Amino acid sequence: MAVMMSAQDLAFGYGGKAIGQGVNISVNSGEVMCLMGPNGCGKTTLFRTLLGLLPPLGGRLEMLGRPVQAYTRAEFARHVAYVPQAGSSYFPFTVLNVVMMARASRIGTFATPSAHDRTLSFAALDRLGLAHLAERSFNEISGGERQMTLIARALVQEAELIVMDEPTASLDFGNQARVLDCINELRGSGLSIVLSTHDPGHAFACADRAVLMKQGHVVADGLPNEAVTPESLHGLYGVEVAVEFMQGAGRSICAPALGRFRQE
Amino acid sequence: MSKSGALPEAGSRAGRSLFPVLLPPLLLAVVVILALSAGKYDVSLSDMARVVWSRLTGTPSGLDATIETVVWNVRLPRVLAGLLVGASLAAAGCVYQGLFRNPLVSPDILGVSAGASLGAVGGIFLSLPVLAIQGMAFAGGLAAVALVYAIGSMVRGRDPVLVLVLAGVAVGALVGACISLLKVLADPYNQLPAITFWLLGSLASITRADAASILPAMLLGLVPMVLLRWRMNLMTLDEEEARALGIETGRLRLILVSAATLMTAAAVSVSGIIGWVGLVMPHIARSLVGPDFGRLLPASLMLGGGYMVGVDALARTIAGIEVPLGILTAVIGAPFFLWLLVSGRRGWQ
Amino acid sequence: MFPMRLLLVAFAALQLVLMPALAQAARLFTDAAGRSVEIPDRVERVLAAGPPASVLLYVVSPEKMVGWVRSPSDAEKQFLAEPYRDLPETGRLTGRGNTANIEMVLSMKPDIIIDVGTIDPTYASLADRVQEQTGIPYVLIDGAFLRTPETLREVAGLLGVEARGEELASYAERTMAWQKETVADIAPEDRPKVYYGRGPDGLETGSAGSINMEILDVVGAHNVAALAGSGGLSNVSIEQVLGWNPDVILTLSPEFQKSVKTDPTWANLKAVKDGRVYRAPTLPFGWFDSPPGVNRLMSVTWLTEILYPGKAEFDMGERTREFYRLFYQVELTQEQIDQLLADSAIK
Repeated sequence: MAVMMSAQDLAFGYGGKAIGQGVNISVNSGEVMCLMGPNGCGKTTLFRTLLGLLPPLGGRLEMLGRPVQAYTRAEFARHVAYVPQAGSSYFPFTVLNVVMMARASRIGTFATPSAHDRTLSFAALDRLGLAHLAERSFNEISGGERQMTLIARALVQEAELIVMDEPTASLDFGNQARVLDCINELRGSGLSIVLSTHDPGHAFACADRAVLMKQGHVVADGLPNEAVTPESLHGLYGVEVAVEFMQGAGRSICAPALGRFRQE
Repeated sequence: MSKSGALPEAGSRAGRSLFPVLLPPLLLAVVVILALSAGKYDVSLSDMARVVWSRLTGTPSGLDATIETVVWNVRLPRVLAGLLVGASLAAAGCVYQGLFRNPLVSPDILGVSAGASLGAVGGIFLSLPVLAIQGMAFAGGLAAVALVYAIGSMVRGRDPVLVLVLAGVAVGALVGACISLLKVLADPYNQLPAITFWLLGSLASITRADAASILPAMLLGLVPMVLLRWRMNLMTLDEEEARALGIETGRLRLILVSAATLMTAAAVSVSGIIGWVGLVMPHIARSLVGPDFGRLLPASLMLGGGYMVGVDALARTIAGIEVPLGILTAVIGAPFFLWLLVSGRRGWQ
Repeated sequence: MFPMRLLLVAFAALQLVLMPALAQAARLFTDAAGRSVEIPDRVERVLAAGPPASVLLYVVSPEKMVGWVRSPSDAEKQFLAEPYRDLPETGRLTGRGNTANIEMVLSMKPDIIIDVGTIDPTYASLADRVQEQTGIPYVLIDGAFLRTPETLREVAGLLGVEARGEELASYAERTMAWQKETVADIAPEDRPKVYYGRGPDGLETGSAGSINMEILDVVGAHNVAALAGSGGLSNVSIEQVLGWNPDVILTLSPEFQKSVKTDPTWANLKAVKDGRVYRAPTLPFGWFDSPPGVNRLMSVTWLTEILYPGKAEFDMGERTREFYRLFYQVELTQEQIDQLLADSAIK
C-alpha cells in the first residue's frame, strides 16, 4: 500500500495564525478516508493546506515523497484533484466543457483540448451515468448532477488522489444517496479519496478509514467501526449518538438521541 | 447503470447551428461597406469602390479630388480606427468579464479609462502636440492599472479579484478628482472645449497614422488573449478551484489584465472615452456563441468593431454637427441593455 | 542643327510663358505657429475654425465666408449685414471643441481654413492633422488684442483685400493711440480698479493673463482679480470682492446687474454705491470678451468712457455708429444704439 500523501506534525492556518497543529495522518493509495468534525474544527483549512492552496505553518506535508510546496500547480494537479461543493457557475458552460477543464494540467499552456480530451471527458460522464447531460448547461442541471459532474471532472484529471469537500452538503436525500453510490463505485478502482463530511454515518457508507477532528487536532483515526463510536462522537459533537447496524440499509447508522442533550 | 450515448460531434451542438457563428463576420462586412459610403458628402457606392480600388492598385480613379479625399483621407481612417477601437474594447470587455466573473463588468473597472483621461487632459492642459497627448493618454491608462495592480498585490489573504475591484474604484475616484481639478484650471476658451470633447469620445480627426499607431499595442494585447483563450475559461472559476485544476492564477491574471489594458489604452488614446462597447458587445456575443472564450473572443472582436463603425457612421451623418461617440454609444447601448434585462434574455443564457 | 536651335528657342519661349503662370498657382504663407502653408493665389472661399475667426472673417471679407461657426441668433442678426447673416452653420473645427463635420466642411469647398486664437503646440499639430486629412490649407493667426492692426492687415493680404484691411487697421491704430493718449497722464495709483463678474451670481471672474481680461490691461485699468492668481476663469467668493472694493464692476448678465443694486451683500461696494455697474453689450459680438476677437476693439472706446468719465470729449453713440458701419457694415438706428448702450453707459 503506497502512501500518497503524508502529514507529519502538521500545523495549518492562515495569516500566520495556526488553527490546527500536530496533525499526523497519511492517505494511502486505493483508500477512501472520511474526515469529520464539528463546524470550525478546521476541516476546510486542513483541506486547503493538503491541496497546496495554503502553505503549511509547521511540520511536514509531503505527496509521493516530495513536499507539497515544491510542486508547481500543474504538477500537483496531475496527482491530486479537488472536488469542491458544487455551486452554479458564473457563465453557462456546458457540462462537457466543465469536465474538460480538468485537462488543463495535461495539455500545453497555449493548447486547446483535442479530440482525445473530449473522448476522455465524455467517457467520464458516461461512467457516472451523466452522458445524456453532456450538452446541457451546467447551471440547468440538478445539484446532485452538478456534484457528480465535478466528480467526473476529477476523474478526467487522471489524478491518483481526489479530495472532496463535503460532497453531499446542500443535496437532497436522494441526491446524497446518489453521490455516495458514486463514491462507492470509484472505491476499489485504485483511486485514493479523501472526503470531509458533516454526517458521521458517511464513514460507514463509503469509507475505509475515518478521521475525527476537533479544534484543529486529530482525535481519532482508524477503521470506521473503531473510530466512530458513541463515545467518540459524543466527544466531538457534545450530543449523545446511537451507532447501530441497520439491517435494511446494510450498514451502521448514526443518529443523535434527542432530548438527552448534555452540555460538555 | 451507465447509459452510453454517442459522443456529440464538435460543431453540431444542440441548439447551436453554424448561423450564429457566421453572423458576426457577415454583419461586419456589410457595416463596413455602408459606413464607407455614408457621409455628409455625397459619394455613391460605385465611386467609393473606385477610389478604394484605385488607391490599392495605384491607378488613377478619374474622380474628383475631393471625393478621393473624402473616401481615402476622411472615411477610411475612421472606419479602420472604428474597427480597431471597437474590437479592442469588446475584447478587453470579454476578458474582464471573465476574470471578474461578472457579466456586468466593463474594461473601465480597473481605471484604464480614468488614467487615460488624466493623461490626455494633462496633455491638453500643457498644450502639447496631438501625438504627445495620445502618448500621455496611453501611458496614463497603463499607469493607472499598474497602480491598481500594485495595490492589489500588497493586500494578502483576501480574494484577489475583489481587492482589484475595490482598488480600481478608489484609484478611479482619485484620478477623477484630478481631472476635475484640471478642468477648473483650464483655459475656458481653448482648452476646456477640447478637454470636454475628448472625454466624450470621437473619431472625427482620425488619420491613417493614428490607426496605424494603435495597431502594435492592440496586436500585443491580442496575441496573449488568443494563445490563452482556452485557459481563460478556467479563470472564470473560483480562485481555489482554478488553482486546484493546475492554473497559476496570479500569473495568468496578470498577463490577461495587461493584454486587455494594452488594447483598451491604445483604443482610448486615439478615440477618447467611449463607453458601453466593452460592456454590451461581449454580452451580445455571449448570447450568440456561448461563453467559451475560444468562440467568444472572435465574435466580440467582430461585433465590437462593427458596432463602433456603425455608430461612428451615425455620428457623422445624423446631425449637422459631429455627435460625440460616447454619447451615441450610451444612447443606443443603454436602452438595448435595459431591453435585454427586461425581456429576460440575459446575455449569458 | 537647325531643328536643335528651333527646339531651344521653342523651349526658352515656353519657359517665359509658363514661369509666370507657375508662379501664380500658389504662394507660401508663414502662419503664427511658424508653419509654412501653401495658399492658392486667389482665395475666394474661406472657412472659420472658431468664433474669433468668424468675426475676423466677417469684418475683413464677408463675401468670402462660407458659413458661421455658430449661427447667429435672431437678436444678433439684427446687428449683422445681409446676406451674410443667413449663411449656414459649420461648427467648430478640430481642437476647439470639435463639432464640425469634416465632410460638410469638404462639401463647402473652402480654399483655406482660418483659425484665430492662442497659438500653442496643440493647435499647431491639430492644424497639421486637419490639413493632412482634408488637403485644405489651415492657417493659424495670433488673436492677441494688441496685434489687431497687424492681424487685420495680414489676413486682408491673405485674402487679397488689402485696401479693406488698411481701412480697418488704421481705425484700430487710431483708436488705440487715442485711448492711450487720453489716459497717459493718469498715474498708476489713480487707475480704476475693475472687477469683471460673469455668471448670474457674478462670482466667476478672469484672473491676470486670461484672454478675456486682455482689454483691461490695454486700457490701463487694474483687474482686481489679478491678485487671485493667473490663468483662466475662476470662481471667487464675495468676501474677496469686498476686500478688493473695485471702483467699477463689469458684467455680462442682466440679472446680476439688477440684483447687485438691491443685494445687501454687494450694496456696500464702492462701485455699487457710485452706480458704476455696467453690462458689456454683446450684440452681435461681445464688446468686452466673448468671442476673444477683433470685436473687442469696440470696448477700447467704451471703457474709456465709463472708466475715465470726462477725460475725453466724445459721443459714445456716434462712435458706436461709426464702428458698426465700418466693421460690421450695418447702419444702426437710434433705437439700436440706445438698446446697446442701455445698461452700459454713464447715467
